[in-house]
This record gives sequence, structure tokens and C-alpha cells, in this order.
Amino acid sequence: MFNRMISWIDQRFPLTSFVKHDLTGYPTPRNLSYWWNFGFLAGFVLVLQLATGIFLAMHYKADSGMAFDSIQHIMRDVNYGWLLRYLHATGASAFFVVVYVHMARTLYYGSYRKPRELLWWTGQGLLLLLMAISFMGYLLPWGQMSYWGAAVITNLFRATPFIGDQVVIWLRGDYGVGDATLTRFFALHYLFPFIIVGGVVIHLIALHTVKSSNPSGINLADKDNIPFHPYFTIKDMFGLGVYLLVFFVFVFFFPNAFIEAANNIPANPMQTPPHIVPEWYFLPFYAILRSVPDLIGGVVAMGLSVMIFAAMPYMDRSRIPGGAHYRPLYRLQFYIFIIAIFVLGYVGSQPVTDNIVLLGRGATLVYFACFLFLPIISKVEERMLLKRGLPPAVRAMVEGEKA
Amino acid sequence: MINHRSSKRFCLVLLLGLLPLFANASEEKLDESPIPTDRASIQRGAEEVVTTCGGCHGLKYVKYSDLLTLGFAKDKVDGWRGPLPLDAALKPQMSADDATASFGVAPPDLSLMAAAREGGGHYLYSYLTGYHINDKGELTNSVFPVTRMPDVLGLSGITDPKQRAEMEEKAKDVSAFLIWAADPHAQERKHLGYYVLAYVFVMTILLFLWKKQIWHDIDRQPKIE
Repeated sequence: MFNRMISWIDQRFPLTSFVKHDLTGYPTPRNLSYWWNFGFLAGFVLVLQLATGIFLAMHYKADSGMAFDSIQHIMRDVNYGWLLRYLHATGASAFFVVVYVHMARTLYYGSYRKPRELLWWTGQGLLLLLMAISFMGYLLPWGQMSYWGAAVITNLFRATPFIGDQVVIWLRGDYGVGDATLTRFFALHYLFPFIIVGGVVIHLIALHTVKSSNPSGINLADKDNIPFHPYFTIKDMFGLGVYLLVFFVFVFFFPNAFIEAANNIPANPMQTPPHIVPEWYFLPFYAILRSVPDLIGGVVAMGLSVMIFAAMPYMDRSRIPGGAHYRPLYRLQFYIFIIAIFVLGYVGSQPVTDNIVLLGRGATLVYFACFLFLPIISKVEERMLLKRGLPPAVRAMVEGEKA
Repeated sequence: MINHRSSKRFCLVLLLGLLPLFANASEEKLDESPIPTDRASIQRGAEEVVTTCGGCHGLKYVKYSDLLTLGFAKDKVDGWRGPLPLDAALKPQMSADDATASFGVAPPDLSLMAAAREGGGHYLYSYLTGYHINDKGELTNSVFPVTRMPDVLGLSGITDPKQRAEMEEKAKDVSAFLIWAADPHAQERKHLGYYVLAYVFVMTILLFLWKKQIWHDIDRQPKIE
């Protein structure tokens, strides 16, 4: 009966071949470390955000006069509304943690390199969408930090050449952040996640064309590939369990860790909070913005700091496979880059003082230098390594490529 | 591999060097003495807030019926609410206009006060007990110097240690109630949290064992360097 049903479907829809191609027969390197779990986790968080978000939207009111009250209604009166909201708010931070680790893994192991450029770029597009969504979602509680954060960030678009002022009004739907801004942000905050889902499908199609990279950086022979199911389904499920343990500690015991105290004060356009800070996941980019003394320069630097990742496949000119694994200079550079991001994050969270500005400028320089010097460093390192010895297998690969 | 260890160690040292930067404290010093979380303290605080603070401050997200769930007798709550319905929010006795006329500013709503200030309950306690007479002989508050609220607990004028301790207890009860008011489901949340974590913990162990079993043959193959 079951077989007949499946064959009935298969004549009309490629079900069996899909399962074979993408699950039971999908070749996956057996040496993937747990750093490779984060792509799946990002997908899980996306689904959780969608599910909680849809139920929150049933009780939320996108109206500048009612938004703040409706959040408290959710927190107090809706059955398990507090759970929905804390899952969603903590989930936003978790999404960035997971995506940033996913990106750091890609950088460390050189997963962005040929032939995975399109995979990397679709990921970059997803990151931009995620940033837009979280920025718009942060306005919805209509607290002080929501309001002033949105005011500051939309104001940055004044840097658009010639039509800056008009662009800001167009984004806000009004001369200042107001009801029109709130309603459009809500509409887009509901729409964009579904575009992300579409983007994820494209990301996965690209992945299943080029297949996963692996820690060695060498394309493994067929004998070292194992099917995705059951090996990686179970590994992803175990990873999910560990992730949920951490996630739920925050949801149930420290749910306000990522909510600014000032955002529990209703938005007040007449009163600027003493210290406007963006959410933690924007802090490094915010620090870069503030490190450039000129508005246009700052906006350009901030935009570049996010977009420059797209250039990685071309900046990294080394032919040594495997990202940082065989490459000591690249590895050092990777760690310096990570440290620069943490320093920038700290700088972004602090009020502006001379020392903070100085530290921020230094870290900004290091941040960009990590990218801009990469073409030279990767070539120098390649020459050095070819002379000083590589494992024979790797050496043969590089030389084979040359021939 | 070349340098693998040393570059890691180098970065660790750099990160550790940065730690003092992160460890800086908030601007004003708050009294960090613990705020009670037991039901009796919260009830005493609720009574104080309704009868004393309620003269000027409202709590628009807390209803009279919420006080019933806190364990107050129906008669008592009925006395407080007067003609208002049970599901009405706690309303200040003085209108905002009258309060503005007397104090120069409308007294803020207290429902979210514990969540809306950095430091939460410690802020509230430090604020309530922070009234003192400064060098110039003026009444001031060490946490919020420009406050317009009078020294309700009278701590600036009390020197008797026993009486002071009594008032400080009262400030703690008020803070305890306001913490509850800002997040009334907190206890339920933590209670549920233990069950959820226990469940996920057991599930994760089982998943780990299952993973070990499925990967048994693969794990015996030589490692790929």
C-alpha cells in the first residue's frame, strides 16, 4: 500500500529522487566538526522566529498609541504570551550568535573559496535581510531605545547623495519617526522573513550543488563522504539539544539580558535618552560608523564593513587549500580580526570619550587592514609554505593545480 | 602544525588583556543588598504601594484582581478599589494635573519601574533610601539628584538606627513588589524553566548516545588530517 502510494506520487512529483539526492544519498564529508552545525541551527532559529512571530502578531497592535501597551498585554494577559515574547526577543539575539559563528567558520576554513562563491554571496544577502528585519523588529515595542535607535539609523540615510533628505522622509513615511514608520516597519518585519525563507532555499540549492567544504579543505575522495542521513541528521539533532540548553537558560532565567532598561519606557519624541546604543549585534558596525568623523564617510565605512565579506573569494589569493588549517599567517589574521570585532563591539557600547574614539579608530583600521592586506599576505604565505613544506598530499594538490 | 598553539595563546593573552575594559561598573553606586522575593514581603510592599505611593502614582498594567492572585483578601481589595471594577488598573488618588501643580511634574507610572531602570530593584531600593541632607543643607537624593518626589520614608531626618532599619525594610518590600509588578510571571517562568531544562538535558544525552551509536563505524575509521 505504502509503496504504491509512493510510486503514485513519484510519477507526478520527484519525491523519492529528492529524498535520495538531498538526504539519504547526499554526500557529506565525514570529518565535519561541530562548527558545521551552525547552518542547521540558523535554519532552526528562523523557523522558531517565524512561529513565535506569527502568534505575537495576533496580539500585537502596530499603532504608536497602542504598541507599548499591547506588548504589556502580551506579557501579562495572553496565555504564555511572556514565553512567546521572550522566545522571540532572545531568538533575535540567538539568530545573530548562530549566524556570526556560521560566518566565522566559513572564514576560518576558507569555505567561501572557489567553487563556493555563490554560496557565500547568497549567505551575505541573507545576513543583510536579517539585519534589516531585526532593525525593524526592534522598533515594534515602541520603547525609548526602539524609537531613538530607529531615529538615529534612518537619519544615516541623509548621507545619500543629492536626495538624502527625501530618502529619510521616504523611509520614515513622515518627517520624524512616527506612526507611519511603525506601521510600515511592522508590515515589512512580517514580510521579509518569508523572503529569507526563499533566500535559504537558494542558499541550500547552491550548497547541494557544490557540497559542503570540510576542515581539511581538500575535496575528499568518495570513500570519505558519508550520506547526510542518518549521520548528519542525528549529529544536527544532538547539536540542537546543546543549543537549546543554552538558549532556554536565557529564555527562562535571563530573558532581559538583551533588553535595554530604557526600552521599558514608552517612546517619547521629546526626550532623548542619555545614551543611545543599538542592539549588541550591531555594536561593531556602529563603532565603525562613529570612528569616522564625517557622516558620509562613516556611513560608507559602515556599509563597507558589512559588504566587504563578499570580496573574500577574490582577496584570498592563496592556492593552499583549507583556510586557516594549513596557513599560519591567515590563522593569525583570523584571530586578530575576531579580536578587532570584540574591541569594536565594546567601543560601540560605550559613551564617546577621547580614549574610546582612539580605540575605535585603531580597531577600525585593523578590521579593514585584515581584508585589504589579505591579497598580499596570502601570496607571501603561499610562497613561504611551498618552500617550508606542506603535507605531501596538500603539496601535490597545489602543484597539480599549477600544471 | 606550525604555530597553531602559539598563535592561539597569543590571542588569548590579548583577549585577557582586554578584560579590565569590560569590567567597569555603572555610573552611580547602587546599594546591592538583596531584595526579598518571598510572598510576604511582596504583599507588605503591595500594601505600602497601594496605600502610600498610590496617592500620586498609578500602576496601569496592574489590576485590582491581580492583588487577589497575590493573596489579598477580597474585602481588603474591595476597600482599596472603591467604586472601580475589579479588572481596573491601580489608579492614583491624585489626578496628574493636581500632582503636576504640586510637584512640577506628573508622577510616573510604577508598573514597569523595576524594569525601566538600570539595576532594577537595587536602583529602586537605593533611590528610596538615597535621600539625605547635603553639605549646603538641602534635601537631595544620591541616585537621582533632580527628583521632585519628597522623602516619603523620611530617611533624611531619621537618625535612630532602629527606626532607620525599619524604614529600610519597608523600602525593600516596596522594591520587591515593584519587581513583581514589572514581571508578574517571573516565578511561573523560572518554575517552568527547570522542567524545560531538565527535559532538554535528558533528551540531549539520549541524542548524544544515539549519535554515538549511528557513528560507531565511522568513528573507528582513521582520522582525516
